[in-house]
Amino acid sequence: MINEILSAAFFISVLGSAIRLATPILATSLGEIYTQRSGIMNLGLEGTMLMGALFGFMGTYFSGNLLVGIICGIAAGMVMSALMAFLSITMKANQVIAGTALTIFGCGLAAFIYRTVFGIQKIPPQVTNFQPVKIPLLGDIPFVGDILFNHNILVYFIYLLVPITWFVLEKTVLGLRIKAVGEHPRAADSKGISVTGVRYTATIIGGAYAGLGGAFLTIAYMNSFTDNIVSGRGYIALAVVIFAHWKPTTAMWGSLLFGIADALAIRLQALGAPIPNQFLLMLPYVITIIVLVSVSKKAEFPSAYTKPYSRMER
Amino acid sequence: MSSKATTKKKKNFSYKIKKGLKRLVPAVITIVLALIVGGIGIALSGNSPLEAYGAMFNGAFGSPSRISETVIKAVPLMIMALGVSIAFRSQIWNIGADGQFTIGAILSICVVQLSGSTSPVILAVSFLTAILGGALWGGLAGILKAKFNANEVITTLMLNYVATYILAYLIRGPLMDPNGGNNPQSTSIPDNFRLMRFDDSLRINVGIFIAIILLIAVYYFWRSPYGFKLKLVGASDSVSKYAGLKVSSIVFVTMAISGGIAGLAGWTEVFGAQYRLLDNISSGYGNLAIVVALLGNLRPIDIGIASFFFAALMSGGNTMQRMTEVPYSVVEIIQGIVIIFVICRAVGSSKTFKNFIKEKFTKKKQVNLAKLSESSSDEEEDNA
Repeated sequence: MINEILSAAFFISVLGSAIRLATPILATSLGEIYTQRSGIMNLGLEGTMLMGALFGFMGTYFSGNLLVGIICGIAAGMVMSALMAFLSITMKANQVIAGTALTIFGCGLAAFIYRTVFGIQKIPPQVTNFQPVKIPLLGDIPFVGDILFNHNILVYFIYLLVPITWFVLEKTVLGLRIKAVGEHPRAADSKGISVTGVRYTATIIGGAYAGLGGAFLTIAYMNSFTDNIVSGRGYIALAVVIFAHWKPTTAMWGSLLFGIADALAIRLQALGAPIPNQFLLMLPYVITIIVLVSVSKKAEFPSAYTKPYSRMER
Repeated sequence: MSSKATTKKKKNFSYKIKKGLKRLVPAVITIVLALIVGGIGIALSGNSPLEAYGAMFNGAFGSPSRISETVIKAVPLMIMALGVSIAFRSQIWNIGADGQFTIGAILSICVVQLSGSTSPVILAVSFLTAILGGALWGGLAGILKAKFNANEVITTLMLNYVATYILAYLIRGPLMDPNGGNNPQSTSIPDNFRLMRFDDSLRINVGIFIAIILLIAVYYFWRSPYGFKLKLVGASDSVSKYAGLKVSSIVFVTMAISGGIAGLAGWTEVFGAQYRLLDNISSGYGNLAIVVALLGNLRPIDIGIASFFFAALMSGGNTMQRMTEVPYSVVEIIQGIVIIFVICRAVGSSKTFKNFIKEKFTKKKQVNLAKLSESSSDEEEDNA
């Protein structure tokens, strides 16, 4: 048992699947960085991801094309987050309540659509999902090649979003506007930046990322849809954002931490570790709490975090 | 003199009715609108909304036993919604009622199993342990919030998952029923511990009185000095700090009270309805409790009424799923829409909304002014 755990094969398989399992959390948390930097906390990510997962699956199932699935998933995420944006920006609702409403609504709607479209079948409908692509040369490096360069194309793409997100936030006008609106909306407004417009944009970008993260679950990680496929990953992504101090690169490390916890739980279970399986499954959630506790005190939240902006109020 | 008093009483009475209607009518409109949206969904899925809602109504109220089932569901729902409302009113977002419920249920069963006795003292002890368990689980999130500034929405949710897995482990391990044919469930509680029924053939029991007593207690809690402090913390952090309140300890106590009440709901569910621990014993009451609390404007009496409506929706929804092609998830869609409408309603009648209208109005004026003066027109256009 111990020998098996210490073997190179175990190590490679844990780290390899950690990278895959971190991907949906990473995509969602990168999107949430845009949203939170603009001062909106989208707590409806869980429902948004599930809708993305469903539409990603349905798009692929009915068209037979994975790209169509990705686009459908992203679109579903954008629609859901537009609703969140409407409630929290235009209606100035409390963002916790709006997010909870969106999660309950999204989870119910996804389950309803799935049941309506596919009915009850003995064998759940499946799609041909993304297959791993071994990158030539790099994939042949011992150990490292198997861990880093033997994944499906969506994994590479989502990791590529880390530098892209960093670039957009730090080097483009849109990124600067998002940060200005999140730190000091009044100053941004006085400079002629539309606070409402920027916040809508940031929230909908976040929804697109969450939709992509959800779609990853059904068409790249698995090949079918279940009602509980997201199982808290939306909330874990929120914790990752706080852990990462709203920085894309750190969000990647945070997501990998959860990826490792997930992967360890699955691999140890497969080895028949003498720990009850429920305690292994609990691991990612316990780690979320520990991580949140250890970083929240020092975290510098955006100044206008969760505060609706109104010109008329001081 | 007496006539004067009666007219005054009458006036007071009609005023109260008017006030009550003012709270009831928007809630009813919200529900009707949500049902209509749900109906559109059912129609889009190719089923008849009338048939589905008919099956739902029949399932909730069709026979004495069905009414009794609806009331049985209303008990934990009402208790948990009252607990949630205490936290929400002080602007602490306890989303983890499910987990607190589960821990309360687990600890109460542990007491019964460990003692192995059937004396009423044990029943009382299990009652208190359930409350204590819920209070610990909620209070834990409270401490993390007060000491480490950890977002309570995320921690309470994560604690839900942890509680679910603890339950799953216990009923497959230490607490598993040895004569249960390998089913994941605990041994059932002694017969004399079951909450008293009004009629042997119906499952409705004295649990409903526990819920109503709690409702009255919460009603008076908000009129007590401590209740006022909580409301103050909810209204404004800085004001309550100036008033010398220790916000961090209030956060902890609020979460503990809120969690303790959810733990109590776990006790009534085990001793009044299930008689043992099962997987998913909280069966989504937690989410529903949030909806109930919000629809009831966080007011105890309104919550009491709303909980019966949602209990009917829940038990009726199960019948609907069995009788028609319409899946139960319609009920969840209706829940989500109810909250969305409640948000829009609260906003529509609030100051911020009036400001929003004003803002739109003044914005137009500003643009006009800008056009007149023709100064820095680029920036203004960006604005529009």
